[in-house]
Amino acid sequence: MLPFVRRVCLVAGVLALTATSRPSAEAPRSFALTNVRIVPVSAPVIERGTVVVVDGLISAVGPSVAVPAGVWRLDGDGATVYPGLFDALSEVALPASASSTAAAPRAAGGGAQPPSAPVARGPGDRPASTPWEHAADALRPDDPRIETWRSGGFTTAMVAPRRGLLPGQGAVINLAGERAGEMVVRTPAAFLMTFDAGGGFRSFPGSLMGAISYLRQVHLDADHAAAAEEAYAQGARGRARPEYDRTVRAVHESRAARRLTLVPAVTAAQVARAVRLGREMQVSVGVYGAHEGYAAAPLLERADVPVLVSAKWPEPGRDADPEADQPLRVLRLRDKAPSTPAALAAAGVRFAFYSDGLGGPADMLAGVRRAIEAGLSRETAVRALTLTPAEIFGIDDRLGSIEPGKIANLVVVRGDLLDKDATVTHVFVDGLVHEVKARAGQKGRDARPDRRPTRTTPAEGATEGGAR
Amino acid sequence: MTRSLRAVAAAAIALCAAPAAAQEPAASSGTTFAITGARIVTLAGPVIDRGTIVMRDGRIVAVGPDVSPPEGATVVDGTGLHVYPGFFDSASQLGLTEIGSVAATNDFAEAGDMNPQVVAIAAVHPSSDHLPVARANGITHAIALPARLGGGGGGAAPAIIGGQASAFSLAGWTVEEMVMAPSVGTVVVWPTLATRGFDPATSSPRQRPFDEVKQEYEKKVASLEAILDAARRYREAAGGQAASGVRDLKLEALGPVVSGARPLLVYANAERDIRNALAFTAREGVSMVLLGGDESWRLARELAARAVPVILGPTQALPVRADDPYDTPYARAGMLREAGVEVAIASFNSADSRNLPYEAGHAVGYGLAWEDALRAITIVPAEILGLAGEVGTIEPNKRANLVVTDGDPLEIRTAVMHVFVNGVPQSLSTRHTRLYETYRARE
Repeated sequence: MLPFVRRVCLVAGVLALTATSRPSAEAPRSFALTNVRIVPVSAPVIERGTVVVVDGLISAVGPSVAVPAGVWRLDGDGATVYPGLFDALSEVALPASASSTAAAPRAAGGGAQPPSAPVARGPGDRPASTPWEHAADALRPDDPRIETWRSGGFTTAMVAPRRGLLPGQGAVINLAGERAGEMVVRTPAAFLMTFDAGGGFRSFPGSLMGAISYLRQVHLDADHAAAAEEAYAQGARGRARPEYDRTVRAVHESRAARRLTLVPAVTAAQVARAVRLGREMQVSVGVYGAHEGYAAAPLLERADVPVLVSAKWPEPGRDADPEADQPLRVLRLRDKAPSTPAALAAAGVRFAFYSDGLGGPADMLAGVRRAIEAGLSRETAVRALTLTPAEIFGIDDRLGSIEPGKIANLVVVRGDLLDKDATVTHVFVDGLVHEVKARAGQKGRDARPDRRPTRTTPAEGATEGGAR
Repeated sequence: MTRSLRAVAAAAIALCAAPAAAQEPAASSGTTFAITGARIVTLAGPVIDRGTIVMRDGRIVAVGPDVSPPEGATVVDGTGLHVYPGFFDSASQLGLTEIGSVAATNDFAEAGDMNPQVVAIAAVHPSSDHLPVARANGITHAIALPARLGGGGGGAAPAIIGGQASAFSLAGWTVEEMVMAPSVGTVVVWPTLATRGFDPATSSPRQRPFDEVKQEYEKKVASLEAILDAARRYREAAGGQAASGVRDLKLEALGPVVSGARPLLVYANAERDIRNALAFTAREGVSMVLLGGDESWRLARELAARAVPVILGPTQALPVRADDPYDTPYARAGMLREAGVEVAIASFNSADSRNLPYEAGHAVGYGLAWEDALRAITIVPAEILGLAGEVGTIEPNKRANLVVTDGDPLEIRTAVMHVFVNGVPQSLSTRHTRLYETYRARE
């Protein structure tokens, strides 16, 4: 389409940029979004105002700001603009082998335990450990899921590998870009740790107690190795050469940098365990899953642990036996899990939502609506999709709200973002507008992901009464 | 092996064999025995407070308060003791398995899905150490079930038709001496819809889609329907004889089932499985006895209406569902009985068969009448399995299978004083007592 035609549209005063799926070089990275309702998240709502973006950064926000000369003027026609939405833990843009839920059991070991891997016999074999791997180094900008999520208003995600005991390190990325490097907002953004080696009981550790003892050992080894390397660097003569161990080195570096360590925890007991282990290992812990967070809110508040709440509320699987026993424990969790965000908010716990394998943005926002029905305020819900995750990952200085100086990740919506019939009309990532594909992620539910062999992760297992 | 070692080995074998032989029953048919002055719970009429039982040639010949032992009878003084009909473990693996984890000692299941021609008694091992142990606690006869019970989960799926269940006495040198009825019914292990299983390839739990499991289940039920249909045609075509000259033992074996002469003994525990099995047998017009029946209490009314008797598994068990009351396994016999269902209780085991009276006794504390509990391990299973003419009560002409105790036999502190099987007093020495004596004598 010719730029000339586009200009005509704009002149017509309707915000109807019909951009190609990839923004062309002519698309403006400087523009003024006028006549919009602004939800800055960090400040009160501006009923009618203007957002000015210059070179991909927000330069001014307010009810009456001067539009600099030379920037394009886009009339919002009364639509609402929010900060771009943030999925706090995702596998978008990662190859299937690095993610957990998308991977077939054992078939893809995420580098941790490929099928041909020798069976681990003890902690010295460093089983299911790839903490040196960075999601940022594995990004696939051509992943079609990027567009699916972006079309639903999600401009940002923290993506991380999740297979193995020490799966690797996550990165916050913007959901647009031709090259992996331009997508990355911050890396590493989080350090992942789980209790599931995924190797069955034949390989160490085949049990929860084995997994925890291993993680303890690795953290102790990290202390020792750091001290030994330091001493060796001071004077090598007469000293035994410390062994190079990339697992231990990555653990040590992450801990020294006070990086957020994300641990899966669904039940209150698992939350308590994560908090205790974090304290013991002297790492700053965040938990993800947290469906029983309604019963753990005071503990989380006391320990100042941020929480990533899975928006995939527990429900019987599509393939489940319709007459299967439904224990009260499971029914209670199904019933009360959506009240977790409200309980966390009331207790003053920082929390953000994450997609947890949901098929797309419509499913995720439907999950957030259930939390609202269960008592969460809309304001807090929007914050948990924007500014709070940015705070949790230490990037609230660059995105998460509509403020001057921040990255121009914006979503323009007809109606209220969290209403069922809201329509995302435009998504800006780094100041570039992106076409919203024909309601793909808008009306009704998202297309279901392919049916895959099911294998419950520890988090899901706990929600639906599975193993472990 | 050197000569001297061989000699030592031979001596050791002789030493081991001696006590084993000593505890085997004396083959003394033709002898007359009498128990005098005992309280007799006949289950065929009122309790006889002080009476005598006379046994000859394996049968009871007289019982009553005024009966006196005939000349030459070997008399057991029953003063202060209680006599009951011998207990009937009406669903067991006695004789079919010795040690579950030693494959060579397990002989309860044939390969393949449909084995109606297999008869359990052929595999019963008369020298099994479990037989004297059970017998010493009053179990005088039992049913051997040819089936892999509690299937699903790991391991091979159980056969659908396991074979024919056999009734036998717990005394005898050979299977021929022991057998009471080679076939009391055909065992069907009802295919269960289990989405949760175990994947041996990854040694981890695995969840299967319900649709897939259901399809598999429907195929199994269809195959069961097909074989019954074939048996019906075979029977009509051959009139019991093979007109074509080609005999099919499988279809022949199902003849009594499709003719209604013998029941299908359907092993099913989950409510849905039981419901499906009930519908199936109604559709097929075959008579059914429910075996296992963990959740049969949920269908008590249906079972009563259909007059389907239940041979329940042990009361000493965990509830099936996470939120079932803790006492569900104790209470289900009482609930079924209250609804009017015929209830027997069995061990479904070999090593634990000895606990049969306590399995029944435990139900007494949870709603089952004491006499119904006793009947559940004596006359009721005999009636259910067509053996009421042989065993189950203390009456003339029945087999002289008796247990003599110093108190209530359902009570764990009661001692068994004498056990008669086919009119012959049995040694109460067992592997347990031998080990007890061995280690008691240890310096």
